[in-house]
Order: sequence, then structure tokens, then C-alpha cells
Amino acid sequence: MLAHIARRLLTAIPVMFGVLLIGFILLQVVPTDPAVVRAGPLATPDVIEAIRRDLGLDQPLWMQFLLYLGRLAQGDLGVSIINNVPVAQELGATIGPTLELMAGALFWSIPLGILLGTVAAYWRGSLLDRAVMAFAVAGVSVPVFFVGLMLIWLVGFKWQLLPFTGRGGPIWTLEGIKALALPALTLGGVFVGPVARMTRTAVLDVLGADHVRTARAKGLVERMVVLHHALRNALIPVVTLIGLQVGFLLGGAVVTETIFSWPGVGRLAVGAILSSDMPVAQGTIIVLSLGFILINLLVDVLYAVLDPRVRAA
Amino acid sequence: MTAVAATTDAPQAPARPGVLRRLVSDPAAAIALGFVLATLFAALFAPWLTSVDPYENNLRATLQPPGGEYLLGTDAQGRDLVVRCLFGLRATLLVGLVSLAIGGAIGILVGFLAAFYRRLDGILMRLMDMLLSFPAILFGLAIAAIFGPGLIAVVIALSIATVPLMARIVRGAALVVMKLDYIEAARAVGMSDARLIWRHLAPNCLSPIFVFATLRFGQVVLLGSALSFLGLGAQPPTAELGAMAAEGRNFLFFAPHIAVVPSVLIFLVVLAFNVLGDALRDVLDPKLRV
Repeated sequence: MLAHIARRLLTAIPVMFGVLLIGFILLQVVPTDPAVVRAGPLATPDVIEAIRRDLGLDQPLWMQFLLYLGRLAQGDLGVSIINNVPVAQELGATIGPTLELMAGALFWSIPLGILLGTVAAYWRGSLLDRAVMAFAVAGVSVPVFFVGLMLIWLVGFKWQLLPFTGRGGPIWTLEGIKALALPALTLGGVFVGPVARMTRTAVLDVLGADHVRTARAKGLVERMVVLHHALRNALIPVVTLIGLQVGFLLGGAVVTETIFSWPGVGRLAVGAILSSDMPVAQGTIIVLSLGFILINLLVDVLYAVLDPRVRAA
Repeated sequence: MTAVAATTDAPQAPARPGVLRRLVSDPAAAIALGFVLATLFAALFAPWLTSVDPYENNLRATLQPPGGEYLLGTDAQGRDLVVRCLFGLRATLLVGLVSLAIGGAIGILVGFLAAFYRRLDGILMRLMDMLLSFPAILFGLAIAAIFGPGLIAVVIALSIATVPLMARIVRGAALVVMKLDYIEAARAVGMSDARLIWRHLAPNCLSPIFVFATLRFGQVVLLGSALSFLGLGAQPPTAELGAMAAEGRNFLFFAPHIAVVPSVLIFLVVLAFNVLGDALRDVLDPKLRV
């Protein structure tokens, strides 16, 4: 088990290196001189030169990259060129809301997706099955922004039921939950379909397996057969597939945050890119990538825990 | 000798008879195919289908609701949404098509090389795994940050994101074909690698490539329009469906049709490609069903 985790960690290293390299490149394409930015408008050339030396900008590029890695290791991601706030501080404030949004979306979409997928598989070929599958295809085809805009227009504006701009407060308060409702509904809405689809395939696979036939043959109640023998085994591939869909979820999160002015990493990233705030853009891309790699790693480990056969492979 | 060469050279007939007939026997697939053909036609011939300029303002007819003089209404600059959508569809589909063509071609090449030259397999596939470690939206963000927002950035990002997916599909399909006798036979008669790949390997991997490309096209269109919606792709006033929806967002409360019309169009196009892709998969390659 440990060896499996170690091996996965090793393969993640070059990827992380690539991410950091991209972050470094982003800082190189900034049209402004970071030393001038840091020194402020009133600085004399001497001061700028000193800061340049201080930042290592007079060093060769590979040395600058090492210095960059060193600064990252200390949590120094640079300073926003728009508002002079340290990037680490900006990121710190946005990671929480993004996780909140994702959790809020997964919280309802995964159980619903698994339920729909199981029902569809069990009554395969029925009208119900066809309806679920049609819903699933529609779910993977609908633009996230369309779902979001419709919810804002109908639920938020016309019926005035829920707020639709920004975060309402901590998640344990009523305000917090109300503000999270529409964004979580939007992001989760495009996730139910894929989960239902994957669950259906997995359950169909298992329902035809020998051990399910045996369970039926020995006279187990149908509910036991489906829940304990079929669904339980079907969930293993579903967990992995859900993990692999996290990238899809991340894309949806960036759009959802932008539509609902949700103060998360995705919205910060888009804003930074549109205003050419490279230090912030670099920071958000690093955080989003590393987060994504981390989730993939966790899913992989979870998969190995659930299915011991994976470890041997 | 010539006889053997002649038989191995004979086309492998990848298009099985009746594929189209089996495809359209499913009503949903038939409708989807019809819709796809109609949108492709509309996008291709947009400039000839209307004489109205999609960029010309008409300030006397701004924010017209659908159903009146203008079938789908007008936007804040008084531009006819039917015309805008026609050209928007053109831009959106073009971005998808170009990304799919570039990313798909590179992916196909990588897949064949990995399957054919086993020494390259390890390194190529590790590289693909690395690319797969990133969701497309992150490529979109990073490339837009490096090159600046624009349709070029979107195309680059979506191409890169497509390469590893296509490479995996092609490699998998090619590995199966590589084990077959006629590959061995072609080798035995001294056929060159390039010719073997082109004449025997490629035609027999067409089904999965075709199925994947159809399904991927929907995803690429969805991603591309999302990036444009965010402002990282097409820039206003460019008629592109995602960018149009973003413009419409500002008028959501009093003229919702400006955002709804292009969004629904994206939805329908992607839905049609997904339904068609699923049906194609069932007909061409049931094994691929995931």
C-alpha cells in the first residue's frame, strides 16, 4: 500500500515541476519590470537596481527559476500588480470559498447521480431508464453558464427566492447556505448526468456478475442483492470515474464563480488574466493545478484501498 | 509474391455497409444527424444565407424581444440575433473544428507511434499522462495568460487538451490491430513502416477515432464557448456564441433572450453531437461503450 502511494507520488513530481515551470514562464511574459513595480513610482534608479539584485533578476534564467522555487517554498508567490496585496494572501482568501462551492455541488449531485444511475440500470430499457439517460446526455451537453444564468433569472430575479451575488457568510449560517444554494445547484447540476451515466454502466456490469446471481439463487431479498451485492461493487469504478471528472468540475467551478461573483480561486484567476495581473494569474494556476493533482492522487489511493487488486498492478 | 502483395494491399473496407442505415434507425440519432448537418450547413454558408451584417448597429431597434419583427429579437446594439447566431455558430464551430483537427492529428500520430514502435511507448505515454493531469480549463487559463485572451489561445488550449485523449484511444485500438495476422503478413512481404501504418493500421482504427472525434467535438465546443464566455476567448464584438451569451448576461433581467438564444444554440449543437456520437459508438464499436 505504501509502495503504491510512493510510486504515485513519484510520477506526480514531473507534473508538478511542469506546473511550476509554467508559473515561472507566466512571470517572464509580464510586460512590466517587477523590480520597478516593487520599488514604487518614486524610487530612484539605485533603489530599483538594488531591488533587482535582491530579486535575483540580474542572474541567468535557470538561476532565477531556482530562486523562484525557493521563494515559492517560503510561500512567497509575489505581489499583485493591481492592488499590491501579496498573492499568497489573495489565494488564502479564495481557496476556502472554492472548496465550499465544490463540496456544496458534490454534496447533492453525487448521491442523486448514484441513485438515478442505479434505478436506470435496475430497470434497464424501461421508460425510466430512457428518461434518466436522456437527462444525463442533456447534463453533459448544457453549458454551465446557461444553467447559472437561468437560475439567476428565474429563482434569483423573478421569484426572488435566493441571493445570487457573492458569498453570504460562513457556511454554518443561514445566510451562508442561502448564498451557496444557487452556485452549488448550478455546478452540481452539470455533474449529476456524468455520475448517473457512470453508475448505470457499473451497476449493469455487476448485475450480470456471478456473485449477484448466487445472491439471488440463495434467496436473498432483492433489496439486499441490489444494495449489498451489486451497488457496493459497482461503487469502486464509480469512485475513480468521479475522481477523474474533478477536472470537469473545476472548469465548471471557474464559470460558476464568475457568474455568481463567488469569491473563489477561479474567479480570481479569470480576473487576473483579464487584467494581466501575472503574479496573481501565476499563483491561481499553480494552486488550481496542484489541487487537481492532489485530488487525482487521493482518488488513486482511495481506489487502491477499495480494490486491493489495483495495488498489485 | 505479387498475388500476396495484391491481397494485402486490398482496401480493408473500414466503412461497413449499412452503418448509416443502422444509425438513422434510431430516431434520436436521426434527428441529431439532421441537426448536425443543418448547423454545419448554416455555419459554412452563413455569409451567403443572409445579406445582413452581423456587426452593424441599429440603434432604433435595440433589445427587441423575440417573436416580433425579429424572429429571435435583437441585442443591445440592435443587431438581429438570427444573423448574430448564424455567424456565432460559424466562429464557435470553427474553433471546435480547428482544435479537434490539430489536437486529433497530433494525438493520432502519437498513438500510432506508441503502438508501432514499442520503444517509444513508455516515454510517449508518460508524456500523455502528464498532459492528462490537467483539465482543459487550466490549459485555457494558462495559455490565455501567456498569449493574451483570444480565439487563438482557445484553439491552442483545446488542441493540447485533446492530444492525450486521442493518443490513448488510437494507441489502444492500434495495439489490438497490431496483433492481427495481416500485419505480420504485410511485414513479411517487406512493406515499409510508414506504408504499413498508413495502409493497414490506420484504416482499421478508424471507427474508434471517428466515434471519439464526434463525442470530443461536443466537449470542445462546450469548453471553447465557456472560455469565450469568461472573456478569455473571442472578444466583443466578435459574433461567437459564448461571447454573445456573456454580452447578454448584462441584460439578463430585462432582455433575457440575448443570453438565452446563443446558450440554447450551444446546448442543442453539443447535445446533437453527443447523441450522434453515442449512437455512432453503438453502431461502429460497441466495445467502446463506457
